Amino acid sequence: MTYFPEEVVEHIFDFLSSHRDRNIVSTVCKAWYRVERLSRRIVFVGNCYAVRPGRVMARFPGMKCLSVKGKPHFADFNLVPHDWGGFALPWIEAAARGCPGLEELRLKRMVVSDESLELLARSFPNFKALVLVSCEGFTTDGLAAIATHCRGLRELDLQENEVEDHGRQWLSCFPDSCTSLESLNFACLKGEVNAGALERLVARCVNLRSLKLNRAISVESLARMLARTPHLVELGTGSFTVEHRAEAYQRLIHAFRKCKSLKSLSGFWDVAPRCLQSIYSICPNLTVLNLSYAPAIQGADLVKLIRHCFKLQKLWVLDCIRDKGLAVVASTCQELQELRVFPSDIYGTGTAAVTEEGLVAISSGCSKLNSLLYFCHQMTNAALITVAKNCPHFTRFRLCILDPGKPDPDTNQPLDEGFGAIVRSCKDLRRLSLSGLLTDKVFLYIGEYAARLEMLSIAFAGDSDKGMVYVLNGCKNLRKLEIRDSPFGDAALLENVGKYETMRSLWMSSCDVTLGGCKALAAKMPRLNVEVINDRDESDEMEENPSDMHKVEKMYVYRTLAGARNDAPEFVEIL
Amino acid sequence: MGDQSNSPSSSIDSSSSHPALCSTSSIFQTRRDLLSTDLKLGLGLSTSALHGCSSKEREQLSHWPPIKPLLRSTLEEKVHRSHSKTFFVKVYMEGLPIGRKLDLFSHSGYDSLTRTLRRMFRTTIICPDTSRVPPEKAHVLTYEDKEGDWMMVGDVPWELFLRTVKRLKITRADKC
Repeated sequence: MTYFPEEVVEHIFDFLSSHRDRNIVSTVCKAWYRVERLSRRIVFVGNCYAVRPGRVMARFPGMKCLSVKGKPHFADFNLVPHDWGGFALPWIEAAARGCPGLEELRLKRMVVSDESLELLARSFPNFKALVLVSCEGFTTDGLAAIATHCRGLRELDLQENEVEDHGRQWLSCFPDSCTSLESLNFACLKGEVNAGALERLVARCVNLRSLKLNRAISVESLARMLARTPHLVELGTGSFTVEHRAEAYQRLIHAFRKCKSLKSLSGFWDVAPRCLQSIYSICPNLTVLNLSYAPAIQGADLVKLIRHCFKLQKLWVLDCIRDKGLAVVASTCQELQELRVFPSDIYGTGTAAVTEEGLVAISSGCSKLNSLLYFCHQMTNAALITVAKNCPHFTRFRLCILDPGKPDPDTNQPLDEGFGAIVRSCKDLRRLSLSGLLTDKVFLYIGEYAARLEMLSIAFAGDSDKGMVYVLNGCKNLRKLEIRDSPFGDAALLENVGKYETMRSLWMSSCDVTLGGCKALAAKMPRLNVEVINDRDESDEMEENPSDMHKVEKMYVYRTLAGARNDAPEFVEIL
Repeated sequence: MGDQSNSPSSSIDSSSSHPALCSTSSIFQTRRDLLSTDLKLGLGLSTSALHGCSSKEREQLSHWPPIKPLLRSTLEEKVHRSHSKTFFVKVYMEGLPIGRKLDLFSHSGYDSLTRTLRRMFRTTIICPDTSRVPPEKAHVLTYEDKEGDWMMVGDVPWELFLRTVKRLKITRADKC
């Protein structure tokens, strides 16, 4: 290979699409490292604190697309204090200096200020796509900057962000000359937008294929927009309340009938059951349906809808669908690959939802199922064993039994055997979340069988340090381990310290790890950042020098080339 | 060792006050029990069952089930709404000093609201987008929103209207 000119090697590398493959070839020799780094266009940084932004820009000057992730996953559930970190600004500043040809930026769980959005808007003349997922720290003023300055913007995708509303004019900032939008998603915005400006924008962007509206957009406005976008592929409706002007509703039905390309539907805030009929004409073409924001729709209406959706590949729904509804899904949706069933009753007021029966039904009917997120009231070992047999192709399996530590209700046993069957049968399993009553045994099974496992989430499980050790010693592809409320302590933490350098990160909260254990880990492994995160109200009461026996409430460990970060707030101690 | 205050389980488990006396699994069991109790209490939480917990513990226990904030707020809103059965607002008609009160939750939308108001005040209430020239005696319906501005009723989705309305006023059509 060294006899080939660089252009040939570069051309061969073009066929390598995964980051991992490109990372591997760049370690073969200096020549390959050089060719690879100059030709890499898509750069993925899984942990923003693992490497300095400047270093990334210097290594990949030809970078066109950058993805960066910030806070650990448990931040989604409020387990990470607000100002922990994960700031986007240093990345945008470094990119502005080092890679002005940047076209796409994807940020997940980061703090993005209006200042950084303004800098972004002005620094990259070819900027095309901005995707922000679960971010916070910006307002609609930042969005106004993006709309104003990013000529040729193709994609603005805001998913589940916390955005402060500073008024509705941001959308009007898209100039009349802007006709390039292909994807616009502002579903997470809480405030009103200028509906007129939106309708005009949508009308002139003839390549628009994906439009996801927020709750403030009326059915009337939606009907008008749909009439101008018959080629839309993905739609997130706004508020779907019955309008007193029934004419708008008729116009909506008519507009839906014209949208022959529509494959994905979401939104449906405040939808009344009878309004679901308006989408029956599109259902036979749907591959993606997200009804998880429609708590007013009960099982019977959901079922009526789903009977029309026989091409469905991805379904996100609330547990109001019940086991019976899932049985209908199983018989109707033969192409189903991903199912998410979310809880509708988060205060445990006792309304029955889904159980193991629904899951077993799904597994028997949907043989292509490979991704599951299932919130339920109970699960049995027998059911899990059946599911494992029916669906050996799971790559993602996340089960959340709402009552933590609940055993198999039929046998009163832990769910070790059930999950054991899952990991034994699903050889391609990459992501697993456990729940229910679990002993160390389940971890023995996971360590032994889950060879491809990359991410494991543990809550209220295990008996002793042995559990965690089985996992650390066993799962050779483990990248992310997150544990809460489980009895793992210093012995487990320190058993296999080298393992953490092969992983992206480890999170442990409400476990039995002590400050002394964390210090020992930090001392042994200088290339790890060991962060001890104290809750704010506690840090006032904390003594100047807490004893090493003091249990650590939250700990986040990650490998890094950048050393200790300098933007940590006072309640985070980096050992 | 004197660090009882730092270990959540020891403040709950008053019978074994020193962490070293609690076995690992019993601390763990207590945390699980506490979470189950928390789940069963529902909205109007009585603090007696959480007696002895620090506010930090209560906050931590409420990070369950693991769902994202947007879904959580959507579900909470539905619960709050179903707990509060009525939403009375004041309604004044221009020229009449005495107002009335109206339960917005008992109406399904703008249609139903305007029908009730026509009955209550015996006048024609026109909608914002009617193109006909309004008759002399017609009125329009306006509302005061959370920011104190007076707006025409009917422009935003009903559910959004319910979240922002404070009170209603019926004014003469020729004034708008």
